[in-house]
Amino acid sequence: MRLSRGFVLLNVLVFAGDLLGGSLEITVKDDKGRPVSDAVAYAAATGAASAAPRKQAVVDQRDKQFVPYVTPVQVGTAVIFPNSDNIRHHVYSFSSAKKFELPLYSGVPTQPVVFDKVGFVTLGCNIHDWMIAYVAVLPTPHFQATRQDGRAVLKDLPAGQYTVQVWHPALKGQPEALAQRVDVGGSTKNLLFTLPLKHDLRAKRAPGLTTGGYR
Amino acid sequence: MILSIVLLIVFSSFAHAEWRFEAETGAFYDSNLSNSDRSADVRDDWAWKSQISAGNSLQLTRDLRMNLGADLRGEVWDRFGAFNTIGPGASAGLRYRFGLGRQAPWVLVENRFGYDRFQDTAQSGNDNMFNLQAGIALSDRIALEGGYAFESFVAPDDFYDRQVHSANVRMVFDVTSSLQVTVGYTYREGDVISYAVPPRPDIAPFSIEREDEDEFGQPLRTAYKLLGRTNAVSFSVAYQLMKYASVQLGYEYAITTHDPLQYENHLVQANVAFAY
Repeated sequence: MRLSRGFVLLNVLVFAGDLLGGSLEITVKDDKGRPVSDAVAYAAATGAASAAPRKQAVVDQRDKQFVPYVTPVQVGTAVIFPNSDNIRHHVYSFSSAKKFELPLYSGVPTQPVVFDKVGFVTLGCNIHDWMIAYVAVLPTPHFQATRQDGRAVLKDLPAGQYTVQVWHPALKGQPEALAQRVDVGGSTKNLLFTLPLKHDLRAKRAPGLTTGGYR
Repeated sequence: MILSIVLLIVFSSFAHAEWRFEAETGAFYDSNLSNSDRSADVRDDWAWKSQISAGNSLQLTRDLRMNLGADLRGEVWDRFGAFNTIGPGASAGLRYRFGLGRQAPWVLVENRFGYDRFQDTAQSGNDNMFNLQAGIALSDRIALEGGYAFESFVAPDDFYDRQVHSANVRMVFDVTSSLQVTVGYTYREGDVISYAVPPRPDIAPFSIEREDEDEFGQPLRTAYKLLGRTNAVSFSVAYQLMKYASVQLGYEYAITTHDPLQYENHLVQANVAFAY
């Protein structure tokens, strides 16, 4: 009798776990097996409507660099671009997912930029040509950028079936080509993505290279 | 009124001016420092060249930037110390970019004024360089640049006065994010000084002479100042070592003519450059 009570309790806990959802631990490597940082892992529930975006995101400008290099946001998110340097920056994007321009400014712009279309947006600074960063505008609230070890964890996913994709600024092709379907429920699942990457050809900030943007 | 508006923009920009400090040092080789056409007269030498500069960039409008700078340049030659030089300079320039982003075409107008003090003080003088340059990105990785420059050097001894016009074009190629290759061509027309052991009746008719020059030791030479036309091709590689430093290797082959005179120079340089 005590055994059957325990059995029932265990089943209840498992069922509750399914309802509560689970986590995905995602590892991203390149085709040589090296961990890939700044990749965006995101999971979209099959057939589920997305919740409204929860908060603002921030892309800072420090020491003439965008920080962070890659910012994932849910579509509809407002992003603010504070300038923490004591010089002016001029942020712009030509990307079809969001074309905008924040003309020469210091401090914090009065209006954030709302990213209202799914896609991948390249940011630049018109003053410092080496400054580049990306905003990944995603159709889901479940995302994270990978750390230096190439790992990202998507926590508290409601139970259900998900399509998981990974994007990186240097990705060859589209993220859909590498999509994985997974059932989430109660426990942590591990996924491995191997990305084909292009060479990083960003102009860097150094004397003698691309005239340092100071011509 | 217009002047007031310009001054207002300039002074308001000073609050956000961007300082830049640069230093460059390295070895330089000239296969024909004497600019001689006869092999017996040719003297080559190595020099150690250095330069430090401080500059300020003022973004006046979205597209217009003003650069102001000061620098100190020096070179020390291994064998022929008469050409050792040190000199301060100041420069000002305006760069206009036709649109947003690093691929937008740009045009730069700048002027540098400096004083070059030679160890052989008779050669010392004021150097003024006007430069008009333009560039356009052909792709993410390839840029095309070209321009015109006019250099005027004025020394107390008129013999060392020089005026040179030049036009240049160069292709800049980002091989990787850390490696940049540049291929260029320059045409120069203007005063050159060629040293030769006299007599040179073939050069004398179209040149100004200065006899018994000892820059290259014995035998004493005659310096011939003449109008020369130079065609030069160059190749350089810059490699980023770290965020603020790079190494640069460059080679230029130049051939200068004024019929019947013709001489060649092979110029090689290896630099380390820092910028902050």
